[in-house]
Amino acid sequence: MNIIDIQNLTKYYNKSRGIIDVSFSIKEGEIFGFIGPNGAGKSTTIRTLLNFIYPTSGSATIFGKDIVKASKEIREEIGYLPSEVNYYDDMKVKDLLIYSSKYYKKDCSKRLVDLSERLDLDLNKKIEDLSFGNRKKVGIVQALLHEPKLIILDEPTSGLDPLMQNVFFDMLLEEKEKGTTIFFSSHVLSEVQKLCDRVAIIKEGKLIKVETMENLSKSHFKNVTITFEKGKPFEIELDGIIQKSSDKKSLKLLYKGNSRALIEKLNELSFKDLLIEEPSLEEIFMHYYEK
Amino acid sequence: MLLFKREFKRNLKGLIIWSAVIGGLILLILAIYPQFAKDQEKLNIMLQAYPESMTKAFGMDKLGFDTVLGFYAIEGYLMITLFGSVYAVMLASNILSKEANEKTIEFLLSKPISREQIISQKLLAIVTNLVILNVIVAIVNLIGFNLSKNNNVETETFLLISLAPFILQLTFAAASFVISCIVKKSRSIFSISLAIVFVTYFFSIISGISDKYKNLKYISPFKYVDAADIITSKEIRPLYLIIMAAVIIIGGVASYILYHKKDITV
Repeated sequence: MNIIDIQNLTKYYNKSRGIIDVSFSIKEGEIFGFIGPNGAGKSTTIRTLLNFIYPTSGSATIFGKDIVKASKEIREEIGYLPSEVNYYDDMKVKDLLIYSSKYYKKDCSKRLVDLSERLDLDLNKKIEDLSFGNRKKVGIVQALLHEPKLIILDEPTSGLDPLMQNVFFDMLLEEKEKGTTIFFSSHVLSEVQKLCDRVAIIKEGKLIKVETMENLSKSHFKNVTITFEKGKPFEIELDGIIQKSSDKKSLKLLYKGNSRALIEKLNELSFKDLLIEEPSLEEIFMHYYEK
Repeated sequence: MLLFKREFKRNLKGLIIWSAVIGGLILLILAIYPQFAKDQEKLNIMLQAYPESMTKAFGMDKLGFDTVLGFYAIEGYLMITLFGSVYAVMLASNILSKEANEKTIEFLLSKPISREQIISQKLLAIVTNLVILNVIVAIVNLIGFNLSKNNNVETETFLLISLAPFILQLTFAAASFVISCIVKKSRSIFSISLAIVFVTYFFSIISGISDKYKNLKYISPFKYVDAADIITSKEIRPLYLIIMAAVIIIGGVASYILYHKKDITV
């Protein structure tokens, strides 16, 4: 079953572009990453899904319900962490979390303490006095507290130290175990790599690709580094070479194609050393962005 | 009613301060009256010493200091109409725009609450606060009037001059609330609303002074609830009531429509 289903969603702010013709769906129980540089339209998509803003055209459903017509109903079962966490400055952490939980007809008092302890969050501090990272923790607890069916996280890890990031990722995986669907946006690729089942890549408002993590990292991309013999540089022409860079000592290729063809080509040449490796996700993404 | 409770709690401090200040000032003014009343003759001479335009502007031509009600209408009524309106405008222009300004609206809108519920509960918080302020002032008036011996204030008149400022405040509150649904920046909302209060107050004075500008009274809500008029005619003129009711209703309804359609970005 699709938890989120987005059909040709387009959003313009007056005349400036938000997102254009975005379509994808997220299955139940999935951790779905939404990747793109700043200003690509990640937050616009999320805000449209939550009906903070109205779509210019296209439509979307969450839990099979229309995001505009059934927004309130949908939000009963959603936990949302905004990219910038801002709360009422007159409240203590505890006040905010209790206030938040009262909107859902559930008793969350035990979970409140549990989650806060795990994130090392002081419940009695005023939110005003919290650092950026600690404020983010309040946001995380707030989003997970009522055990929603769908958790939407907009750039969740910014401001968290690596230790807390791990705790947070563990929490998300636990939620996934329970069958919760998680949709999160990020421009930090390594965190997507660790967690997500699938990712959607967005650039300048347009969806470029939806791919399983597995396929993406094993996308037949090869990083090839050829070290020349002294004073004998050469060039290679071959189908499937996406990027080329060379200096006096070596030639670097980003190659997508048949490995055998590459080896055969290399066989004709003499070189000192050869390194063929999986490219990092960053390199794959950089490639998408540059297109 | 979660949001209503929250708003009420959040604004309670302001309500207490404004009630204490306005109520306190009125009580102080009324407490002086018994002293005044003793020297009635001197007082009337003093009144005549004022320039005519000034007595007109403040409605002193229709009322005198010979009754406590007249004294209140001239000296005390302004506190609850003008300052009460300033309070109403502050509350109404802030209550919704604050969420956008401090970006807490993202939190609120992600909860299962409809925009209509947000508007309803915030409006209810405004009305509740204004009711409490006006009830406190009415009680203060009741005490203040009883301090003097000639406290022959008719119940009907008393109710009218207690109700009129409330309707006035609601009018200003509705106007500034609807502005806060349109304008993005919170600070400019408060400035605009405050300007409306003071400019219309200014109009009410001008319209009293000069016959040339007397039609300005139709665009000044302060004239609609003029104490001298209410006390002498024992009514708020139906036309004025209709205008204020229209502003309140249109403002309220427009708020729902505008906020429903609004793209909320922070």
